[in-house]
Amino acid sequence: MTRYGMVIDLKRCYGCYSCVMACKQANRTPPGVFWSRVLRGEMGVYPNSVRQALPVLCNQCAEPDCMKVCPTGATYQTDEGIVRVDKNKCIGCKYCMMACPYGARYSVPEYKSYFPEGLPVSDYEKHCMQVWEEKRGCGVATKCDFCIDRRAEGREPACNQACPAKARVFGDLDDPESEVSYLIKTKRGFVLRPEVGTEPKVYYLPPR
Amino acid sequence: MAATITSKVQEDVWIPTCCGQCYCMCGIRVHRQNGVVTEIEGNPEAPTGRGKICVKGLAGTHLLYDPYRVNYPLKRTNPQKGLGVDPKFVRITWEEALDTIVKKLEACKEKDSRGAYFQATTTAASEIRYAVTAFNKAFGTPNYWVSGGGLHCGNGAHFMNGIMHVSWSIIPDFAHCNLPLNFGCSKGHGAGHTAVQNAIQAADARARGARTITFDPMQSPQASKAHEWVPIRVGTDGALALGFVNVFLNELGVWDDEYLKYKTNAPYLIRPSDGRYMRDKATNKPQVWDLVDKCPRVHNDPLVTRVQYEDQAHDVALLGTYEVDGVKCRPAFELLKEHVKKYSPEYVEEVTWIPAATIRRLGKEIAECAEIGATVTIQTEQGPKKIPKRPIAAHFFRGSQGHVNSGWTCLSIDMINHILGAADTYGAAMGLGAEVTDGYKPTGKPYQIPYPDEDGLLVAKAWVYDHVPYPLRVPKQPTRLDLHDMFPTSIYNAFTITSPHWFEILDQFKINYRPDVMINFGSNSVMTMGNAEIVTENFLKKFNFIFSFQLYVSEFEEAVADIVLPDACYLERYTPAVSFPSTFSHPQGEDDWGWTIRQPAIEPMYERRDFNVVLMEICKRLGILPKYFKALNDMTVMRYGGPFSPENKLCEDGSVEHTWPDVVDRLLKDRFGPEHGLEYVRKKGVFTWPKRKEDVYWKWFNPSRVPVYFEYFIDAGEQISKLCEQYDPQKKYIDLNWSVFKALADWYPCPTHSKEKPEYDMNAFYWRPVTQTNSMTQQNPYLDEITSEDPNIYGIQMHQKTAEEKGIKDGDYVWLENTDGKRVKGWVSLSEGMEPHHVAIAAIGGHWGEYMPIAKGKGTFFNDLVMMDAAHTDPLTLGQDICVRVKIYKA
Repeated sequence: MTRYGMVIDLKRCYGCYSCVMACKQANRTPPGVFWSRVLRGEMGVYPNSVRQALPVLCNQCAEPDCMKVCPTGATYQTDEGIVRVDKNKCIGCKYCMMACPYGARYSVPEYKSYFPEGLPVSDYEKHCMQVWEEKRGCGVATKCDFCIDRRAEGREPACNQACPAKARVFGDLDDPESEVSYLIKTKRGFVLRPEVGTEPKVYYLPPR
Repeated sequence: MAATITSKVQEDVWIPTCCGQCYCMCGIRVHRQNGVVTEIEGNPEAPTGRGKICVKGLAGTHLLYDPYRVNYPLKRTNPQKGLGVDPKFVRITWEEALDTIVKKLEACKEKDSRGAYFQATTTAASEIRYAVTAFNKAFGTPNYWVSGGGLHCGNGAHFMNGIMHVSWSIIPDFAHCNLPLNFGCSKGHGAGHTAVQNAIQAADARARGARTITFDPMQSPQASKAHEWVPIRVGTDGALALGFVNVFLNELGVWDDEYLKYKTNAPYLIRPSDGRYMRDKATNKPQVWDLVDKCPRVHNDPLVTRVQYEDQAHDVALLGTYEVDGVKCRPAFELLKEHVKKYSPEYVEEVTWIPAATIRRLGKEIAECAEIGATVTIQTEQGPKKIPKRPIAAHFFRGSQGHVNSGWTCLSIDMINHILGAADTYGAAMGLGAEVTDGYKPTGKPYQIPYPDEDGLLVAKAWVYDHVPYPLRVPKQPTRLDLHDMFPTSIYNAFTITSPHWFEILDQFKINYRPDVMINFGSNSVMTMGNAEIVTENFLKKFNFIFSFQLYVSEFEEAVADIVLPDACYLERYTPAVSFPSTFSHPQGEDDWGWTIRQPAIEPMYERRDFNVVLMEICKRLGILPKYFKALNDMTVMRYGGPFSPENKLCEDGSVEHTWPDVVDRLLKDRFGPEHGLEYVRKKGVFTWPKRKEDVYWKWFNPSRVPVYFEYFIDAGEQISKLCEQYDPQKKYIDLNWSVFKALADWYPCPTHSKEKPEYDMNAFYWRPVTQTNSMTQQNPYLDEITSEDPNIYGIQMHQKTAEEKGIKDGDYVWLENTDGKRVKGWVSLSEGMEPHHVAIAAIGGHWGEYMPIAKGKGTFFNDLVMMDAAHTDPLTLGQDICVRVKIYKA
């Protein structure tokens, strides 16, 4: 069976935010919503300190806490292991947002323009708002779905396609021959916060 | 993906074109649905980016649709000008705008056409090197400049790269380089030329196991990816580089003998009396000493010349004393070797704050990593050829070059490469761009193979501007408003035009006309040059009339523009060539050549009009359109690799009025054949053809040498200083240290390094983050939102301990004050990733204008601290010093 996952090579990544922007554009997310995000941290003491960029997105956990707490069954898993939200079932209680150990879920009460209030909304933003309303919606939980709709059109997940460092690989974790499986096995792939036990499907390769 | 249009209203198309958010100009595809641009992504067909673009390129839709864009011509109704003055702009018609502009230009022409001054942004790199320059030639003015970006990044770097690599910039051959050495830049990590392609290549190199070392006062994005971050005192990169050269030559005894003997002027014999070449009496050519026949020979005598690596030649002397025509002379190399002895690791430690032991350790590692003697075989048109493999590359950009020692710093860093033979060969430091190509085979264009001059040194066949790097122009009596004619080693300068005594300088130098009309194209020079008040009061307010092609009403328009013309942005216009000639936008490496064009993804909205089209309309109304076409024809030779064929040439007699797309079409047909005009190229947005390996690794296929001994600088310095003294004997207006014009590289301290006023104890500098370009992108709300995600971009970065000592906490607002009492405000972001005596500010933030509300108040306006006087000017290249000594205190 297909079980989609992603590998992010931290040696290749240089924290350029292309993934963040590509996601915003592809998914028409409103201000404040980052299904794809780059976190920044600093370790060690000068002059041996290291700055590290960490791209994050929904881990599409195999045992997702967000799904467990959803009172209406709005959060579900596809056959390919992708965690989705049925916006018609979602009541906007935000339990899932509280439960997600990775902070990967977002909900906005309304789709505000990126520009100051009182100005005419541009054709582009009207388009974004329309797509958002159709596919996601305000007042409900939203999240990354590995660009399910783009992939239906034969395109890669937006963050993958944009990454100038070619740091991201998307593929089938159940296929032992896939690149993702190979990388995880041979390059010390790891997941974030394994201790919470949700079995994430986004893996990282070490930065050094 | 194929375009599908099912009906008139159901439109769904992808338009391949070219980005314009910065000067890298990557290939993009723009998605238009029902007349609305909905998406931008990289164009996989274009070698520039190969389907990848950066965060700024992806955010372009918000530039297209920003409600704060200028959509109609505007007229200033408040006659008062200056910072903080409300211009009271009112909307006018295009007819009124053009009518006013043409009348002003006509009056200017009548008085003295040189009173017209073109100022443009580096972001529109292709427009400035073609349309802008052609207009100037047609109108009859020599006065133009590329506002802040030009000075801040390029005077030293581009000039020196031009001399040493016939290129605008240098970059490691990432595909084969094992040790990139990064000096004060973020090339390969989000900034610099062909940023995205370099980032792909640098990531591949990391994955391959290349080790990188970064010298930077801040743990930049590049330093944070490096295996070793070596914090360095700002402005001292040149001293470090010469320290390495000293370690190679005098401590390790390591250099690339073959390279220096046959590919540089290191063996040229120098006479002791005046440091000039020992020239052959019959031919006047520099000579080398033939060690086989024990006699002098001219540099290009076949017996002592190796064009290709496998060519045979007599050995020549790099060391020793030889008698020629009764004069005891020595090879340039020996003088260099002796000269750099003073850069002992101990001295360099004092200057750079890098421990001597580290300098020795790294020097040894670099020398070993160069693999001197190693070769590889590459496939060329003439079959397999052996060339040297030198997998190390020292490279640099704005950070290391933005100092009073700009020119020599760039040369000193590059000297690391040339001593080790690591230049324009496999794995080495490479000229970036399309500087060496024999063109598309069926047409032979663009033809850009460099060649040697009489002295054997490298001459560019194509260059982006009129100021060719070599041979130098002879300094002439100045005619330009910035005295540029006198300074052949400089691209632009600020210290003349921003001087409080500008007009007195013009009087002193017998320039009898004055600035009159400024044409501004996309620049916000109030913010991008230096202290805003100085720029505005001393320079911009001296113009009688200023009109501006602009996307926004920026601080520049607010302060000084009389008319603002609503320009079309890059998604709404044609541009004939963006990846040629050898500038910002053609990736290094073995991938194809690509000639990228820009075509509108959407027709200009509202009353916006394309700059190129309006400029032609102005020419038409001024009656100079035929002259404009002639200038385009003339410039095509140097810019785009050869003259137009007669059938494609633009009409010069006024009988045909070309449209702008027609100009684009003719240029394409001329370069790639009649079947490959605009209609053909627009389908993919790019025309590609295979790159020869000998054009990538051209060093050992070209008969040119490069200087390690800059003999001709001595002459230039003498000529310039003589000319200056002739006009300004008291050195009242121009008092620069001309002694830096000499044959061998040196390091000179910046004002920042002075021990006076010790209370100014911090060194401030600015850096270029991946999320912003110059000043304009700060208005993009996508980019603003993403920039806010990064703790290091909008804040003033400072070391934790230093802040503690000063009682400053993370997030505190502080003032940074320079030694002239100018100060800027911002909030502090504490970090361990800073050398403790430095503070770092990103990009050109701190906008205050009313018409770019997203940008307003974000970040800190670093340039307000930048002084543009002679003390902050590199005498060699007239580059501007942009590091600043400051004191820091709570706001």
